[in-house]
Amino acid sequence: MGMTPILEVREISHTYHQKDRITKALDQVSLRLMPGSILGIVGESGSGKSTLIRHIACLEKPDGGKLLYRGNEYTGRTPAFAGQFMQMIFQDAYGSFDPKMRFDRSVREARWEEDDPALLAELLKKVRLDESFLQRYPRSVSGGQCQRLSIVRAVYSGARILLCDEATSALDVASQAMVIDLLKELQRDYGISMIFVSHDLGVVSQLCDEVIVMRSGRCVEQGDCLGVISHPRDPYTRELLDAVMEVGEETGIHHAAEAQNEISVYPGIPVI
Amino acid sequence: MKQNTSGTPVIEIRDLSLSYGDSDIVRHASLSIMPGEIVCIAGESGCGKSTLLKAIHGMDAVNVTGGEIYFNGSRLTDMSRKERRLLMGTGIGLIPQNPQGSFNPLRTFEKQMRETMSSHGLAFDPDEMISLMDSMGLEDGRKLLKSRPYELSGGMNQRVAIVFSLLLKPRVLLCDEITSALDVTNGKLVIDEVESYAARSGAALLMVTHHLGIADRIADTVAVMNFGEIVEYGSTSQVLYHPQDSYTRMLLEKIPRVRREKW
Amino acid sequence: MKKVISSRILQRRARVKTTIIGMLCILLILLAVFADRLVPHDPNATSALLIRRAPSAEYPFGTDSFGRCVFSRVLSGARTTIFATSFLVVITFAIGTVLGILSGYYGGFIDGIIMRIAELFLAFPQMVVAIAVAGILGGGLRAALIALGVTAWTGYAKIARSHTLSIKSENYIAAARLAGKKGWQIILFHILPNILFPLVTNALTQIGTTMIGISGLSFLGLGVIPPQAEWGSMINESRAYIQLAPWSVLFPAGATILTIMLFNYLGDAVMELKAAERRA
Repeated sequence: MGMTPILEVREISHTYHQKDRITKALDQVSLRLMPGSILGIVGESGSGKSTLIRHIACLEKPDGGKLLYRGNEYTGRTPAFAGQFMQMIFQDAYGSFDPKMRFDRSVREARWEEDDPALLAELLKKVRLDESFLQRYPRSVSGGQCQRLSIVRAVYSGARILLCDEATSALDVASQAMVIDLLKELQRDYGISMIFVSHDLGVVSQLCDEVIVMRSGRCVEQGDCLGVISHPRDPYTRELLDAVMEVGEETGIHHAAEAQNEISVYPGIPVI
Repeated sequence: MKQNTSGTPVIEIRDLSLSYGDSDIVRHASLSIMPGEIVCIAGESGCGKSTLLKAIHGMDAVNVTGGEIYFNGSRLTDMSRKERRLLMGTGIGLIPQNPQGSFNPLRTFEKQMRETMSSHGLAFDPDEMISLMDSMGLEDGRKLLKSRPYELSGGMNQRVAIVFSLLLKPRVLLCDEITSALDVTNGKLVIDEVESYAARSGAALLMVTHHLGIADRIADTVAVMNFGEIVEYGSTSQVLYHPQDSYTRMLLEKIPRVRREKW
Repeated sequence: MKKVISSRILQRRARVKTTIIGMLCILLILLAVFADRLVPHDPNATSALLIRRAPSAEYPFGTDSFGRCVFSRVLSGARTTIFATSFLVVITFAIGTVLGILSGYYGGFIDGIIMRIAELFLAFPQMVVAIAVAGILGGGLRAALIALGVTAWTGYAKIARSHTLSIKSENYIAAARLAGKKGWQIILFHILPNILFPLVTNALTQIGTTMIGISGLSFLGLGVIPPQAEWGSMINESRAYIQLAPWSVLFPAGATILTIMLFNYLGDAVMELKAAERRA
């Protein structure tokens, strides 16, 4: 593709020094995120996938490597700089809001430009939440509602990239399905690009266009999501796929409903 | 996965209602488990499935507001504290969701295991423990026996806790979301090991999980819980492949599956 | 069937307890504030005719060896003790909290310096440092306050620092940083409101200790200068006559114990209330 990636990570490394042990949390990891696409990062705990997106958001200082946004380097800048074009969605939705603040204030505070009540109303409609939710405190809403509000905050801030760290892992099944649909809608309607970190291969395969498999701070396999999952080359990827336990997986029975549920993907929508 | 359809159930629950503090957690649940049977209670967090398990194990914090629990035909609520304590471990074993609390963080696993075994009048065989640990992906068992809980990660502690419970050879093993602290690859090892224990010893398994794939993989019988009630209860093939209840259907439809290229 | 006390009842109990103790504390403070108007006699007026009189209707707590009204002196001493204590707690709390938050939030060099200084003061027993400093400064209430304040801030700083460290790793702080908020904004709007409650309850429980410190220094002659009434110095003055006039020692001592107990109970009750609310 001749397009410039909206985000590029070049050989980023991060080393922890713990007493006499040196742990390589990230070992020369590179990735390219195309505008309007969703990139999945899968791996088990300790694979470095969460550390990687904290680096992308400048919340950590790397030992080496480069970060580029639309071809411009921003390595070593502050989170405030990165926040102008990217926002994070966390696993613990409650923890991502100040418990002592109404949503209204938290959401508006995140916006870089002037307040845009029309956009805010539109986003709330998109996540199917009443405007009265803005007057509530985090602890008075459900986990799914809180996560949807954190997505509203991220998009309202003006971010072009969403960094999702296990964003659906703590949700109940119905909320998880809703958030997955919502993220796809945001991709389609606003051309927002996303990096979606998850240990859940099911979610990643439903949502992502491309995928990276990480293990112990290294990237072991990357490529087109459907391709990697259907024809894994790396033994570790295969091991991960083998460990997935699904209903109907052994007996080979697949629900007819699933074929209809097959969701179309919108790859590479150019940025407006 | 052969189940014994005649005789007394190892565990029987009749019209059981439970509460925690002021709130009702489980309402009118009935369930029976035969020796050698694997039963999964599936449901999302907050549906009351863990509370049900704790009640069977006899935890004090759970308040029985109605109904009965039987173990091998004798009513658990009639038993004295001492009798129940004797049942714990060897009669009814529990693998808790968060195993950290069940270990003394500063004592070696070997000492703790030896003590637990002798308090139940059983002999401790380190080799048996090491081979069990090995089959759950815990390598270098000899060294692990000498280590202390605080030195290991949550996932490793979880697996050692499972080994502990299996060594006591319970006749019913209660498993509370035993894979939640584990990575997918280790989760699968643990599920396989627990299943093979049941097959080897003829013990019954009652497993609580939010993961329908686990239920499909090992269970003979599945009970789906929602808001404190068992909404669907039947054989695995019936519940997971011909679901009647709308909630069960919703779960089956909405859990994202791994999407692969069509052949 | 087991009996389980509902969390709502526990919450109501905790609320009643906090209200009652809170009212008693307010009453005590009001007594101290209006001490001047409430005293039946001039607390400093001596009289050779009234030396060491036992408690009576006119002198409810009796008189001391200078013929002064002990009741009036306890009341006016309340003013000195409670005001000095509150003043000291507020100032050291403010300084300690600010330094602790800065230390916890910024870490690194700032943290190193602040915490090394704090450890330096904590290396010696608080009272020993206070006696040394008060001795150098030459006595008086102001010297006593400085002497105690020099070490008192460290406790608040340590607690503020550890709370800040735990809040700092919360995701909403990361979200605020990504929203472009500056360090002082994050501290003021996100960290402080979330850690203030545990810090204030801790400060409440420290009132008792501080009061012992002030009275202790006065007792040793390093605090309030006679004839100003202060509970510690009153006990010291009358100590020699404890067998002849026990009331002149017992009443100020009782007042000290009562006040310390009240404020400690207040701290406990508030903490209990918070815990009950969290459970409900």
